[in-house]
Amino acid sequence: MTKVLSQNAEFADQTTLAGAESRGAYDGLRHALEQSPRDVIQEVAESGLRGRGGAGFPTGRKWGFLQFDPARPPVLLCNGDESEPGTFKDHWLLARDPHLVIEGILIAAHAIRAQDVFLYIRGEYESLLPLLMGALEEARAAGFIGPDVLGTGRCMAITVATGAGAYICGEETGLMESLEGKRAYPRVRPPFPAVRGFAGRPTVVNNVETLANLPWIMRRGAAAFHALGTEDSPGTKLVSLSGCISRPGVYEVPMGYPLSALLENEGGGPLPGRHLKAVIPGGTSVPILTAEEVATVTIDFESMRAVGTLLGSGGMIVFDDTVSMPHALRSISHFYATESCGECTPCREGTGWMAAIVDRLLDGGARKDDLDRLLRIGGNIEGRTICGLGDAAVQPVRSFVLKFRSEFEALLRDTIPRLEPDWQAHGHGPRTARRGAVGEEARRSEAVTGRPTYRW
Amino acid sequence: MPVVTIDGLPISVEPDTLIIQAADRAGIEIPRFCYHPDLRPEGNCRMCLVRVKGFARLTPACTTPVADDMVVTTAHADDEVRRASRGVLEFLLINHPLDCPICDQAGECSLQDFYMHPDYGLHHSDVESREKVRKRKAIDLGSVYLDSERCVMCSRCVRFSNEVTGAGELQFVHRGNHVELVAFQDRALRDPYAGNLADLCPVGALTSRDFRFKRRVWFLHHAPSVCAGCSTGCNVRIDYTERGIERVVPRRNPFVNRSWMCDEGRFSYQTVSQLPRVTTPLTREGEDLHPVSWEQALACARGAFSLPRRGEAAVIGSPMATNEALWGLQEYARNMKDPVALEFRSTSADPDVEARLDELLLHADRAPNSRGAMMLGMGASDGLENIAVRAEQGMIDLALILHYPPVVPAGQPDLDRRVTALARLVRHARFSIVLTNADEDWWHAADVILPVASWSEEEGTYTNFNSTTQHVACGQDPPGEVRPAWRALLDLLASVPAARRYGSAQEIFDRGVAAMPAFDGLRFDTLVSRHATVYPPEGRTSYGQEGFAGR
Repeated sequence: MTKVLSQNAEFADQTTLAGAESRGAYDGLRHALEQSPRDVIQEVAESGLRGRGGAGFPTGRKWGFLQFDPARPPVLLCNGDESEPGTFKDHWLLARDPHLVIEGILIAAHAIRAQDVFLYIRGEYESLLPLLMGALEEARAAGFIGPDVLGTGRCMAITVATGAGAYICGEETGLMESLEGKRAYPRVRPPFPAVRGFAGRPTVVNNVETLANLPWIMRRGAAAFHALGTEDSPGTKLVSLSGCISRPGVYEVPMGYPLSALLENEGGGPLPGRHLKAVIPGGTSVPILTAEEVATVTIDFESMRAVGTLLGSGGMIVFDDTVSMPHALRSISHFYATESCGECTPCREGTGWMAAIVDRLLDGGARKDDLDRLLRIGGNIEGRTICGLGDAAVQPVRSFVLKFRSEFEALLRDTIPRLEPDWQAHGHGPRTARRGAVGEEARRSEAVTGRPTYRW
Repeated sequence: MPVVTIDGLPISVEPDTLIIQAADRAGIEIPRFCYHPDLRPEGNCRMCLVRVKGFARLTPACTTPVADDMVVTTAHADDEVRRASRGVLEFLLINHPLDCPICDQAGECSLQDFYMHPDYGLHHSDVESREKVRKRKAIDLGSVYLDSERCVMCSRCVRFSNEVTGAGELQFVHRGNHVELVAFQDRALRDPYAGNLADLCPVGALTSRDFRFKRRVWFLHHAPSVCAGCSTGCNVRIDYTERGIERVVPRRNPFVNRSWMCDEGRFSYQTVSQLPRVTTPLTREGEDLHPVSWEQALACARGAFSLPRRGEAAVIGSPMATNEALWGLQEYARNMKDPVALEFRSTSADPDVEARLDELLLHADRAPNSRGAMMLGMGASDGLENIAVRAEQGMIDLALILHYPPVVPAGQPDLDRRVTALARLVRHARFSIVLTNADEDWWHAADVILPVASWSEEEGTYTNFNSTTQHVACGQDPPGEVRPAWRALLDLLASVPAARRYGSAQEIFDRGVAAMPAFDGLRFDTLVSRHATVYPPEGRTSYGQEGFAGR
């Protein structure tokens, strides 16, 4: 299988410029600098490369939206926030082949004529910084970065910025706000980043993995890249495989590779004595696949869409028959409730409400129509928020409940149902509803201190 | 101009108009929390979602500009939009304490209003109270109180603080449904415009310290007025009950004050209500002033009008007076045969009505009608101080003085000089008549005192720093036997055959003031129907905008 991204990642000295250059690093940049920016965009468009951050938008087209205005020079943001649960491919790339990412960034900067480039790394990845700064220093000393890149007169500067550990900073407009030093609240679009982005300048935001594809495309040509993978999803995909699987890790597979083959060959199959139950194929923000669906699907944008899910970031989380889906959903829904940035109403209030309902399903006190309530709340969040993360929070809840409904209904049977007197007629809820352990503790603390207890 | 169709109604609006503005203009209700006409739209509350034909998703009406041939449907005509609005309202109420019975906002609360609307609310709660996120209550921030629990995170206050005044004192902290509005370390806000936060807040999260728990809003009567605190002429609404003025809030006027007013002006009604008043006419008997009836006082004053004179008469106005009262002074002066010094200034220099104290609203001239007095030609002499000097030389026979103390604690810059000069004038003029609303020391040497109405007790007009003439309605009854100044002045002239006899402020304005060249073409009715908003003077179609452009 042809490797685009991980071909050199196993070499220990690949993190040094000497080691990377011995395997052809920066050849793609030299090749790109010989071409005009317009030709580079054309080449990338012909390669069919699609964004690897989750949405799968064609990279060449995204760059094409940019109108060059010397008064407001364009900005390139490389999104390394990678906060989608189950995704760790960008960390893997940056840790093993930083020069590949740097080269990709420089090619893209040349294509969109950006002098200012920001590489945004999530706060939790700060251990990467020494390596990354070392690589950038080497690249600067070698003339790949600076006021005069390789004697072409092109000026390119890369600034590394880190977040402070918020999921929302991976959303492109939230990322821009964060870079500007503000609270990472997503922006209302339009205007789109290509028109007004970071600091009011036209901005392109690309994922780390997307840009890491560029050196290969520049060296081998668009046609060679297009020949990889499927017609509509050319190239390869880095998959972060985790969960109940024998060999978790990052694997590069061609687009169109069967998911079941990935689990069996690269992943080594389920743990001994266990059976596959479900897979989340693209980070927790996409609908989950049952074992039957896993058998039919291939790793590319179209196949995933056909079964009602998304390839997303390629963060694949495997569940086997020992996993309780309601417990897994509790973990996921609490993630979205605590990571909702709180800017717009449906996501801010709805995610917390959904998490509370999942909690009471497990802790007791559930109401018999709670599953329908979860779906109804999801419907009121989806499509109604400023950014896509509202939709993201709904997908796991809806797909878990719909595809594993029996597990949730069993909870409703086993739990002591919430007392259902016709209290709405009286305007007061019963004070004696059964509480979970957490609730009980809070209530006791309340009784002692006389003050309400806060969750945080 | 683009034509946008909202709920089947074609509306023609300027390019770049937002859908919500077009709907407002056409009278189609779109519910909203975060949208405010004088703040940058943010689109965070999601209450104003509408369907635009051709858009894949519902879109916020407050951030989407209209385009030609755009077809929009609102919650009134579209089930999905209605479901979205209902959903948002349900979300907002999850962690809301529902403490309307003890909340000061009740009666003017967007949450309450929308909940009572069949299209957006009236649902049964699906939430149990123990699931609520509890936040802090009743945090004292100086001029406002913050009840975090009631906040809907619309960010109007944050945007006001950042964009309008630049104080930047408010911010959100935490994430998810724990997001909470805070001021740094709960310190009192130092923004001199912080009182606006209470008006701005669509719910009961920010309430006015001054008005809190004073009166339920549905007991209030409203009178459209203009602030008398400085020459800006901020449009205000006086909310009063039988007890008097309960609060003053700004009225929106995009050309004068947008939706804001300063705290000094907002609380100026307290200065007015705490003023020691003179409520009956007084006349001199020997060393003392004695209360008398209006008839007796007027008879005494009229006698002075026709006394044979050797010297000059002085008619002194106040920049605090309405145009109608000032016109009454002029009418008095016009009907005198002798030379008259007509004046309202302390010195011979015109007050600088355009000097600003800040970049937002406040002007240095702390009187509402200096421009009006200038336009009426009240500054026809050489200044009050020079007139006082002439009085000391025995050259002033009769002094007719109209005076009001300033309504803001900061006072007028020249107040001390002015009062000193007035005291000298009263002491040395042969006969002096004082029309005032306040019991003050300087006039104790006068011969006749006529009690007149304060700001908010009479109808009239003020002309602000940029020559905008605005209507002031009567917001409360004057105490005792107090009369409006214009009426007192016309009463003084009742025995003069040539004097004009008008029965109302409106008649004085239409037949007297508007006949002056500077006011040419204005009609009282027009000012009233515009709720005292802008009337552009000749040669200008609009103004004020450049001075009030946001940062």
